[in-house]
Amino acid sequence: MIAPKHILGTFDEALTSLRNNVLMMSSLTERSLDRAITGLRQRDDELCAIAIADDEEIDQLEKQVDKDGIDLLLRFQPVASDLRRVVSAMKLSSNLERMADQGTNIARRARKLNQHPPLPETELITPMYTHAMAMFRDAIDAYVREDVQLARAVVPRDQALDEMNSSASRRLIERMAEDPEQLRGYLNLIFVSRCLERVGDHATNMAEDAVYAAAAEDIRHQHLVPVANE
Amino acid sequence: MVATLEMPETTSPTIVNQPEQVPKAEIERAMIEIEQLDFAYGAHQVLHGVNLNIPARAVTAFIGPSGCGKTTLLRCLNRMNDLIDSARITQGAIRIEGVDINAPGVDVVDLRRRVGMVFQKSNPFPKSIYDNVAYGLRIAGITKRSLIDEAVEKSLRSAALWEEVKDRLHVSGYGLSGGQQQRLCIARALAVEPEIVLMDEPCSALDPIATAKVEELIRQLKEQYTIVIVTHNMQQAGRCSDHTAFFYLGRLIEFDQTAKIFSNPAQRQTEEYITGRFG
Repeated sequence: MIAPKHILGTFDEALTSLRNNVLMMSSLTERSLDRAITGLRQRDDELCAIAIADDEEIDQLEKQVDKDGIDLLLRFQPVASDLRRVVSAMKLSSNLERMADQGTNIARRARKLNQHPPLPETELITPMYTHAMAMFRDAIDAYVREDVQLARAVVPRDQALDEMNSSASRRLIERMAEDPEQLRGYLNLIFVSRCLERVGDHATNMAEDAVYAAAAEDIRHQHLVPVANE
Repeated sequence: MVATLEMPETTSPTIVNQPEQVPKAEIERAMIEIEQLDFAYGAHQVLHGVNLNIPARAVTAFIGPSGCGKTTLLRCLNRMNDLIDSARITQGAIRIEGVDINAPGVDVVDLRRRVGMVFQKSNPFPKSIYDNVAYGLRIAGITKRSLIDEAVEKSLRSAALWEEVKDRLHVSGYGLSGGQQQRLCIARALAVEPEIVLMDEPCSALDPIATAKVEELIRQLKEQYTIVIVTHNMQQAGRCSDHTAFFYLGRLIEFDQTAKIFSNPAQRQTEEYITGRFG
């Protein structure tokens, strides 16, 4: 539900600007991850270097979102859905920055891999990347459209990604034993797989934040006993 | 003691809530029960079917735009509206500890002793600090000096004013700062040992430090008293109160725990009002 206009136009402007910066971070993070994986699959060092360089802009945006969020809290003391929108924007930005760091890590590993002969096992990464990015896009979509159902549906999809990571790691460890000359290459692929697993974790966090923003419900760590109110 | 009346605006957007649909907070023990209350100034009805249970020994905030009836309702709680010709409850009842306060035979003076009131603008009497606090006791017929001394000190301590005025009890109350004058009025209200304290925007004329002192005082007082506060300051309602009631155009729209109202209100109108999207 899109909220009606605030009486203070400056509040709506500040909130829109905050949200736009989060969406900009999201686009840059997606692009950075795409460049890193393409750099890995196509053995393109230049693309990897661009992915690594992209991170600086995302870091800057994270700082900007934090600054604008704190400024908004100070100036307007928002409550209810407005407060949730500000808090979730700041939390999303933190997750996006860490997700982009995974893009940088993948690009660095890819550059190392590119110095050696290609490994067919690199293709183990593709389905993981597809799955992680689908989770990421759906989490952002849910946040933008305040779609609680879509956001909730993202969370259980993380398990499949965890399983893919475990399976890929097992396969790569086997290959290390079979082909010790490429041990470092397989190790780098294990790290890449782990990075994508972390991307899924961040997408899950973002989906949880999207539920909080839209429905004021904390769906994190559901196995824990709810925190009692004072 | 003349308070400004809040008259409702004439145009009325649609109100979706019927009183029975108003979300109700779970309350352990209601000190004040307001049942299906209608109130009118002459032919002009300003409260419509208000149902509300105000919990004992807690702070309940009334919020809502000007003219929504929150001050009118507050003044109903100690029958201050009796002082206005043509103002009357047209339907419903208010019970304090189970007793209908508008029933024939209820002593209004005793009611107002039990239900004290602090106004928007501090209004000390043109008397000394001591005499201001002692006033209600003397009216009640207490003459013994030692009893009055004791009550004055206790009330000033309860109002967090004793340390600031103990050496000048016999100078005029007018010599105090605005914040001190307001706390003097609170001490004056407490001197007669009320059970309920009504506060009508008690901090609206105070600076932030004086406001903080009154808010801290409210926090301490709720251990002994039932407090109802009308405020236009959302942050103050959020900080001070345990429960919040939102009124609009004479109707109670939502009543719940303050944390719930300010984080995730159940009614769209509450959300739009507290987030500044209408008013």
